[in-house]
Amino acid sequence: MLRLAWRNVWRNRRRSLINVAAMGFGLAAIMFGQSMMRSLQFQLIEKATGSFTGHVRIERRDVDELKFPDKFMTDPEPAASLLAADPRVLVWGRRIHLTGLVSSANMSLGALICAVEPDKERLITNMASYLKEGRYLEPGTKGIVMGRKIAGRLDVRVGEKVVLMAQAADGSMGAEAFRLVGIHETGSESFDGQMVWIPLSAMQELLGRPGQANELAARLKNIEQADAAAADLDAKLGPGNIGAMSWKKIDKEIIGIQAFQDGLLTIVLIVVFIIVALGILNTQLMSLFERVREFGVLMAMGARPRWIVRLLIVESALLGLVGTAFGLAVGSALIGHFGRCGLALPVGDAFKYFMPFPSVIFLRPSWGMHSFACATVFLVTLLATLPPALRAGRLKPSEALRHV
Amino acid sequence: MSKPPHAPPLVETAGVEKIYAAGSKVAALKGVDLSIARGEFTALAGPSGSGKSTLLNLIGTLDQPTKGTVSYEGRVVSGLSVDSLSDFRLRSLGFVFQSYNLIPVLTAAENVEYPLVLQDVEPGERRRLALDALRLVGLEHFGARRPDLLSGGQQQRVAVARAIVHRPSLVLADEPTANLDSKTGGHLLDLMEELNKEHGITFLFSSHDSAVLERARRVVRLQDGELTADEVRPDRI
Repeated sequence: MLRLAWRNVWRNRRRSLINVAAMGFGLAAIMFGQSMMRSLQFQLIEKATGSFTGHVRIERRDVDELKFPDKFMTDPEPAASLLAADPRVLVWGRRIHLTGLVSSANMSLGALICAVEPDKERLITNMASYLKEGRYLEPGTKGIVMGRKIAGRLDVRVGEKVVLMAQAADGSMGAEAFRLVGIHETGSESFDGQMVWIPLSAMQELLGRPGQANELAARLKNIEQADAAAADLDAKLGPGNIGAMSWKKIDKEIIGIQAFQDGLLTIVLIVVFIIVALGILNTQLMSLFERVREFGVLMAMGARPRWIVRLLIVESALLGLVGTAFGLAVGSALIGHFGRCGLALPVGDAFKYFMPFPSVIFLRPSWGMHSFACATVFLVTLLATLPPALRAGRLKPSEALRHV
Repeated sequence: MSKPPHAPPLVETAGVEKIYAAGSKVAALKGVDLSIARGEFTALAGPSGSGKSTLLNLIGTLDQPTKGTVSYEGRVVSGLSVDSLSDFRLRSLGFVFQSYNLIPVLTAAENVEYPLVLQDVEPGERRRLALDALRLVGLEHFGARRPDLLSGGQQQRVAVARAIVHRPSLVLADEPTANLDSKTGGHLLDLMEELNKEHGITFLFSSHDSAVLERARRVVRLQDGELTADEVRPDRI
């Protein structure tokens, strides 16, 4: 049967090639779409967690905004020791995020002050990699790093002094002079125009809050463990006012974008699957009408109706295998090419406002999704064959033999 | 060895009627009684529309009679299930069609093998039997050719080889020479006659060509769906 089916597939070579091409390019388009979405999402998550959020955070539950917690943990050490003991945690650090005023000799501007433990923060986020001038923060110093835009507006250069002002614990305004040690350029309006970075100890001193922090941020060895790690830490922290959460709870907008993209991709996939199914259905119907007489001959020879049905399904399966293999090859080649060379997408510019985001997406295969697409294309091929195959199985031998 | 008394005929139709109900009802066969014994070389004769092909289809279990029965060796087969009829045809019948009806994507040998494929015969044995059948029809050197590389006469001989490869008890041939020139048709009839005489294969074939009918040892005539004559030709036996 396999031999007959294989030869039947290539009986009308041009039609079969068109079908293989339709299936293959359809599958390749699906794989490309899947890869593009996943790569975009991957880079989005990497950039969001890698430039600011971290994978897991511990902060007070009663903060107004999880991303920028405004309330302080007066004793973060019990939570810190939990992070230190968790084997999933690669690195963690204390942070204070607070809005304040940064002033130069010429101007004062509102800024988001990020006070971090410099040695640890280098590993939690990649902000140090965006430095274009000067150096990164050093612990125990009064250095400050800021974006190119805010530095430009303040008209300060590396080596010059600025003054930071923020509300201290007693309600008074604390002020401290810092020397600009580095300027970063992330390409993001928010990061380059609003954020300044100083060592945590300097901030604690400025605010009169020794040992305090308003968040603990951790980077895990594997981001996939973020939910589980956050849940475990949260359970260990107990029902008090301090809780642990994964980046998904903090960067909800990314999850929203991801859900939207997945929904869009699903619709596109369904449309492509329908197109593939209609193509196969058309081919098999044409093939059926052309071969009615031949089915009559097979039935006269003693082929049972279900044997004829099986023959058509095997033919379709072979066509599906060839089409799927072709699609897999084309899709993999496309993903490989754009994985090496990158794909310039205007969407990168849209995200740049909120976070450092490259305008080039480097595609990476998403084999789980691609396998699903291959299996679905193959399954759709088989399903599309069923109506003509069942119809062939219902033919009466005498009528089939009379078919012209 | 003498035949046992009252041995049932190989095939028997009893009061077979076939009415086609496309639009108005048309009676293609009107109560045909016919017996064919093992080893016969019988022709169904009659003009177009006389019911020859319909009767062959009913005897070949490719169609069901509206009324009456078709029996093989005393067993009624006309009411069997679709699968049972397929199995019956697979084991007991061979078909030769007017327009050869070889499977175009298979070689001559593969075409001949096909009934054996359906019978799940082991590949080596299958190939051996197919080559034997091709040898019987004089085409042992053409096994590797596809049908489109064979002449009409050669294709029909391959079809005969396909019809006999599984040693059926009856071969039904519907106008087997109609698409062949008279010389090639004559050769085909020589072959069928030889297979009948040498190998005891029963042939029932239809034709309206008098030259073909001359070769039959028995001629059953049909007219407007009725059996009008049944001539046995002792001179041909």
